[in-house]
Amino acid sequence: MDTQSVANEVIKSTREKQAFSIIALIRNEYFLYLVSSAAFVLLWHWVAKEQILGKSLATPYDVVKELGRLMTIKLAGKNLFGHAWASTQRILIGFSLAAVVAIPLGLFMALNRTVNAIVKPVFDLFKPMPPIAWISIAILWFGIGEPSKVFIIVIGTFVPCLLNSYNGIRLIEPELYDVIRSLGGNRRHEILQVSFPAAFPAIFAGLQISLSIAWTCVLAAELVSARSGLGWIIVQGMKLTKPELVIGGMLIIALVAWLTTLLVSGLERVLCPWKRHIEGL
Amino acid sequence: MVVDSGRTTKIEVKDLTKRFGNLVVLDKINFHVAEGEFLAIVGPTGCGKTTFLNCLSKLIPTSGGDIFIDGDVANPRKHNISFVFQEPTCMPWRTVRQNVAYGMEVKKFPREKLNQKLESILKLVGLTDTADLYPNQVSASMMQRIAVARAFAVNPDLLLMDEPYGQLDVKLRFYLEDELIKLWKTLKSTVIFVTHNIEEAVYVAERILVLSNKPTGIKAEVQVDLPHPRSMIDPEFVTIRKQVTELIRWW
Repeated sequence: MDTQSVANEVIKSTREKQAFSIIALIRNEYFLYLVSSAAFVLLWHWVAKEQILGKSLATPYDVVKELGRLMTIKLAGKNLFGHAWASTQRILIGFSLAAVVAIPLGLFMALNRTVNAIVKPVFDLFKPMPPIAWISIAILWFGIGEPSKVFIIVIGTFVPCLLNSYNGIRLIEPELYDVIRSLGGNRRHEILQVSFPAAFPAIFAGLQISLSIAWTCVLAAELVSARSGLGWIIVQGMKLTKPELVIGGMLIIALVAWLTTLLVSGLERVLCPWKRHIEGL
Repeated sequence: MVVDSGRTTKIEVKDLTKRFGNLVVLDKINFHVAEGEFLAIVGPTGCGKTTFLNCLSKLIPTSGGDIFIDGDVANPRKHNISFVFQEPTCMPWRTVRQNVAYGMEVKKFPREKLNQKLESILKLVGLTDTADLYPNQVSASMMQRIAVARAFAVNPDLLLMDEPYGQLDVKLRFYLEDELIKLWKTLKSTVIFVTHNIEEAVYVAERILVLSNKPTGIKAEVQVDLPHPRSMIDPEFVTIRKQVTELIRWW
């Protein structure tokens, strides 16, 4: 007997090979990435060199040179990697604490009306408050050490983590539960086999949003009071009137934030294999 | 209980009634289905076919009457009731193979029996080569076939189908109806197939119940004593199709 049915239609994609031509090159997305990045760096260099914005803009070369210097010398006892790690560490601690509490709480709220009725009014009160607004009270409560910075990150990342896990469950197609009920499955089957896996992609979307908010929060906290971290490097650059230090700090933040995002995306690919990307679609 | 054709009664529906407030949707419906019978139910649009199936599957409570399987009141925890819905209901996070196995997992089939059954069903519906793909990598018609395979895999006492092929094009639909007949003949399940498509009902079923408009009752019963595979241009086929069309026409 056939193992393949004529009614099988599978989504696949193939890329057609094209002969090399100037038009194909101009339309190639990687080529365009390169052109646009190079044009940006050249424009930046020109604006800095001609001092169009005064002396407050360093050239790309000065920034790279400054970053190279920071890797070898120590500022407040740490080189560049030490400061980047200080910020990342705060993020990882705050982000993990928030995720560990907010995700299960969001799931419980979506699955249980009583939990929802108890938590929702308090959550709705805190939801619209910008996390940065908590900085002063955090310093009053926890001082200028690590706990206040971690606290700000927890506050900022808690909301998207909770909202996304909550909505992940609320938006499940009810037919999927009907399948389980008609087969005689119980509530445990519904939760473990449908609710949790269906909410996974939304939870990961929440983690990605949280992560970018976490970077904003840690920067804000470090700009206000810190002795280490990438935010502190930027403040030093401002105090010493060294634009290359400020811009260098900003670039490193972008780089580290991008790397942490990649980490979460990688985790999502492992835990949600069914969301895998179909090349070319 | 033995019905006239000598087959044992498997399903008995007695005075099945469903009301939503003052609106009577199903009005004292009585019928039976023999073991291994393929029964089609046709009715005009909006006559309450889906409500009817939801009552039969026990997804919603009835307002009166009940459905009996082998003489006992139907209970999804006790009986094997399978349901193929109008919409494809594959779980996106399970591969084709895991989706087909799902019903057997809920029913706690022993591992060895499950694997054996799984392979034979996948082979029967031609999904073996695509068994490790996820639903987002296959077409809508394949998703529906996965749901059909999942429903047959649990050896159901009663298999309910709610216009499973309603959204597919004509050519594919005939192909899948043939596949359905093959599954039914091989596995000898008792099937209630609900559709608004008269030709489809005459093509697959042994017997057709025609429903009336709301409040819905059984208007007529039509036997389809034609051998499978059936031909749609066979004069007898055409006669039965016309008979059912006359019964159902509301225009």
